[in-house]
Amino acid sequence: MTDCLTTIQFADDIMPGCRCTTVLWYSDGVDTGDALDRIAQLLHSDMSETSNTSMRIPTPLREAAILAAKELNLAPSATALTTMALRATLEAALTQAALDEHYAQYPETRPKLADLAIAAANLDGNPLAADPERIRRAAAELASVHPDPDPDDVLIWAEARAFRS
Amino acid sequence: MNPLVVLDNEAIQALASPHHPKHQSTVNHVQLLVRRKKRTTAITLVAPTAVRVEVGWDRASPQWAFLNRLPIADAHLDEGSANKAAAIREQAQVSVADAHIGATVQSAPHLDITVLTSDPKDIRKVVGGRPVKIIRI
Repeated sequence: MTDCLTTIQFADDIMPGCRCTTVLWYSDGVDTGDALDRIAQLLHSDMSETSNTSMRIPTPLREAAILAAKELNLAPSATALTTMALRATLEAALTQAALDEHYAQYPETRPKLADLAIAAANLDGNPLAADPERIRRAAAELASVHPDPDPDDVLIWAEARAFRS
Repeated sequence: MNPLVVLDNEAIQALASPHHPKHQSTVNHVQLLVRRKKRTTAITLVAPTAVRVEVGWDRASPQWAFLNRLPIADAHLDEGSANKAAAIREQAQVSVADAHIGATVQSAPHLDITVLTSDPKDIRKVVGGRPVKIIRI
């Protein structure tokens, strides 16, 4: 049941208070590594085959999804929107789990806050990317006054410091 | 349209091997993308299949277990991409893999495209007029 409990904790971020009522098919005899490999394989599979499924989701959420799909053009349908969101969630969880396993094996590769902030500057085309040392200083300063800063917070901090000086 | 991130040969090699000198830089970028994915920014990572061939990434091989678990989709070399890649290779005098990267970028419907690469100069030659962020790993 450990895997199911993990699922509950993860789902709690999305639907607080929800509880898993179904014992997962892989809960016996499949370790986490095998589960990750299988999830990756499934996400790489041909997605043209579909299944009907009966899921209970909160009614307001369902109505919001229908409206968002129709009026905000987020997806062709509420079902497509649900599928997209589910896929994005699974991909993020899978990648983080794969990275965490990698960091457990090679602890020195776990990125530091400054590394992530530099990557964020690169990806966003932020001019601060040309000055990684400034980002590293900002990361160190911010980490000393903030319990869990985000890489984007570091960039804002570095920009604010540059503005003040 | 969600952002697209294309990986070149060395980005894939660097990600696959903890001993590669650019492993850390590539992991930093992938970790950041995952953080953003968790914040519901749907980001698509792709490896053009010609790039996979060049680096020897066989999805069925346990040697590539770490990369196989990452949601990096294939950008296929279908008829249209092959035609475009052939033209790019002829014009820019680049490798088949880089030409396929160019074809992937030029035909992508995405507005926000990033290429992680060890060779920005060659990538600039293949992206045509597309506004692309080219990040050196």
